[in-house]
Parts: sequence; C-alpha cells; structure tokens
Amino acid sequence: MSDSQQTQSQTQTRTTGSDQPLETTSGETVEETREEWVEYDFQGKAKMVSEDLDVYYGDDHALKGVSMEIPEKSVTALIGPSGCGKSTYLRCLNRMNDRINAARVDGSVELDGKEIYQDGINLVELRKRVGMVFQSPNPFPKSIRDNISYGPRKHGDLETGLLARMLGRDDSEAERELVERALKQAALWDEVHDRLDDNALGLSGGQQQRLCIARCLSVDPEVILMDEPASALDPIATAKIEDLISDLAEEYTVVIVTHNMQQAARISDQTAVFLTGGKLVEYGDTDQIFENPRSQRVEDYISGKFG
Amino acid sequence: MTRDEYQQSLATLRADVLDMGDLVADRLDRALTALSTVDETVAREVAGADDAVDRRYLDLEATCIQLFARQQPVASDLRFVASSFKIVTDLERVGDLAVNLAQYTLAADRERFEEVDLSTIADLARSMLDDAMTAYRTDDAEACRAIADRDDELDALCQRASERVVRDLIEREVDEGDSWAVEELMDDVSRLLLVVRDLERVGDHAVNIAARTLYMVDSDPQLV
Repeated sequence: MSDSQQTQSQTQTRTTGSDQPLETTSGETVEETREEWVEYDFQGKAKMVSEDLDVYYGDDHALKGVSMEIPEKSVTALIGPSGCGKSTYLRCLNRMNDRINAARVDGSVELDGKEIYQDGINLVELRKRVGMVFQSPNPFPKSIRDNISYGPRKHGDLETGLLARMLGRDDSEAERELVERALKQAALWDEVHDRLDDNALGLSGGQQQRLCIARCLSVDPEVILMDEPASALDPIATAKIEDLISDLAEEYTVVIVTHNMQQAARISDQTAVFLTGGKLVEYGDTDQIFENPRSQRVEDYISGKFG
Repeated sequence: MTRDEYQQSLATLRADVLDMGDLVADRLDRALTALSTVDETVAREVAGADDAVDRRYLDLEATCIQLFARQQPVASDLRFVASSFKIVTDLERVGDLAVNLAQYTLAADRERFEEVDLSTIADLARSMLDDAMTAYRTDDAEACRAIADRDDELDALCQRASERVVRDLIEREVDEGDSWAVEELMDDVSRLLLVVRDLERVGDHAVNIAARTLYMVDSDPQLV
C-alpha cells in the first residue's frame, strides 16, 4: 500500500481528515486537528537546525519542508515507516546526500549557527565534525588499531609509520593513547586490548559495530549520526550499543534513525516522527511522544494500528 | 488496522475490568443491604465470598503484566493498560471493604444510634463507584472531575456522622456499674465509626478510579 493510500484509508476509518477537527468519543470537538505538532520547546542549546528542508531524488520529493532543531548533547531519535524520509533527513545533516547524483537539496541546515549548504564548505571537515555510523558494521579490512588511527592520520592529526619515524615526527605514543581512548569510549577496549593488530573483520558483528563507533569517535566529532546502528545485531550486542549511545550523549550530540520504536523509547531524549512521504509530523520529548502523542496519526503509527 | 489480536486483548481487558466492577458493586450492594436490614444470612454470604473478587483481581493483574511484556503498549494504549492495572487494585480494596461492612453487620446492634443517617452516606459512596466505572467505560473525563468534587461532600457527611456518634456517646447516660452495658456500647460505637470510615474509603477508591480514568482519557494526572 502506498503512503497516499494509507493516509486515505486512515482518514476514512477515523472520520477525521487533515483539516477536520477530531471528535472524541464523548462527542466534543477538539480544537486542534491533532495532525501535526512539530514545534518543540526544549531546554538547552540547538546544535543543528534545519529550515524548510526539501530533498528530491529526481522527480521523487523525498523530504518535504522539514524544520527542526536538534539539541546538543542529547539523543534525538528519528522514527517512521519505510520511505518516510528519516534516513534522507539524517544524511542531509552531514551532506551525505551530495554523494547521490540525482539528489537535490533545498533549504537550510546549520551547525552551530553556520550554514552547511553553502559554497566553499569543506566537506571533509564537516564530516569530521558530524560523523556517521551505518546499519551494517563496515570496518576497514585492516587491523583494529589501524581502523581507529586511519581517520586521524588522514586528517593529519597523527603521524606514524616509517616516514614519520625518519622525519622524527613519530606519534606512536599519541596513537596508542588515541586508540585506547576511542576503544574505551566505545566500550570495546576490554574485549580487544590484547589483539589490536588482529584483523577487524575477525570481530563479531556487535564488536565490529562498536569498532565503527570508536572509529567515528577517533576524529573527535561533535555530532554522531547513526542509521539503524543495531538492526543487524542480536539483543545482547544491541543492549551494549544502546548503553553506549546513552553514554556518548553526555559528550556528543547523537541523532539516530531506528525502526525499533522500543529502542527509540529506551534511549532517546527527543523523538521526531516522520510519516507519509517525507513529512515530519510530530517532534517532542520522547516521554510525551510515547505516552501522549498529540498527532492521531503518530498515535496510530507507534501503536501499530497502521503501517 | 493491524495487530488485531492485540486490539482484541485490549477490548477484552476493558470488558473484564468492567465485569469485575459489576461483581464488586454487587458485593457492596449486598453488604449495604445486610447492614440496613440487619440480614445475617446475606452478611455471611458476602463475608465468606471474597475469593471470587481476589481471583478476578489476580487474573486481571496478570493480564496487564502480560500485555506490558508482550505487546509493549504505547500512547493511549499504554495509559489504558496502566490505568486498568491500578483500577483493579482499587476494585479489590472495595471488595475488601464490602467484606468488612458485612462483618460489622454480623456483630452490630442496630437499635442504638438510629439518628445517624448511614443510608445517605452509603448511597453517595455507592453512586460515586458506579459513576467512576461508567466514566471508565465511556472515556468520560468530565465525569471523572465531577466524582472528585462529590468526594468533598461525602467526606463532610462522614465527618458529621462521626461527630454525632461521639457527641451522642458523651451525652448518653450509662450505668457505669453495669460493665456489660458499657462494653456493648463501646463495641457499637466503634463499629459504627468503622462503618462510616469504610464508606468514606469506598468514595476514596471511586476517586482513585476516576483519577486513573482521567489520566487514561486525557493524559491528565491532576487527580492522581
């Protein structure tokens, strides 16, 4: 069933359209339409802000006018059915959509008040500040140590190897510290500290995913984007990733896309619900979204009454 | 509509809670009848049959826990299951109070203190319970708020009745040499005070049920 068909059948069964007030069982009319509620008043500072963000993949309008603020040092979950635009939105936050030829982005995204969709922005620098962890663990086919130090070396933050030694700029002590710090932050150090030179592909799926998080942390990002980081993992590995995400939010701004609504409820501070072809329908405190969502369609979606 | 079985379980839960409400109301009615007519047979029946209410309570509690564990309800479903989970506890307590009232009947001497109007108090408490369960059945937030207001009236009636009993006791002339008569009087007085207190508690449980229902309907914790 397409999104538009879904909306239509929903409208018929609930006898409330997008412009009609909702009738309660007691026959009273609720003034607000309960259709959209994206204004979100949060405590603290916004790390990233999008304004009227539209994304097109060719003729497909994948994201429609999304405006939202992402509070710093917290976990923001993006949820919604397949094709709702949540991953598209996530990829806009570090301009990963630039890598898709047919994609066109309109609107604005700011990081610390500075527009990231402007000419002359350094994409390597942007993606260092706004890192990403993907659905399937994708470590480099290198040693555990190299997976961590690769990024800092590429960015010139770390010089190791033969040339560095010859030039007297060898940072191997700094590398050791960086690898240890990143692996500890990703809660992986205890499991791998005695085999840092082993190939990372020999790790379990859950360990590989935590290694990818460590790799992301090694370049000292400010925002970490996660696209369903635990969907390929078993419940124990998932629990470790979830614990890790909560810890990371003390220092970093985390934005996570997840299909697992209970996961969003468990780990996020605020939740944004995307529905029906690229629209943000409701955004608010996670407690409020899961206990008393304002939008009827959000209520139906999270209760599993459609989709 | 998906998750049909889950939706069916929610509908069944509501029907079963209402059913338990009917059972408890019936117990309370019988206890109150026994009290007003001093009918020992009915009183014995109520006092000895609390098991059915307890069993219903434990079953419904288990149903709610299973729904939490297996279906992880959210939004209005979450509020409904959480409220039902609390409401069955209140209903079970009302069942206990019905047993208490029946037991007082078995030991009461109704010839004294006739001037205390227990029936008005009983009717008010009883109607509050009815209205709370009706509000739960029909998702009626306004009715919930009205029940909370009526509790003040019930509390005032109970307070006046208790004061009356105590004042009457002070003014009553009892032959202090007749220790049997003194003891009987003391028993009657404390029993009557307990009846008043238990009826007041029925009202409190009705308010609790209304409070949970209001949270369920409007996500409004005002009365909780």
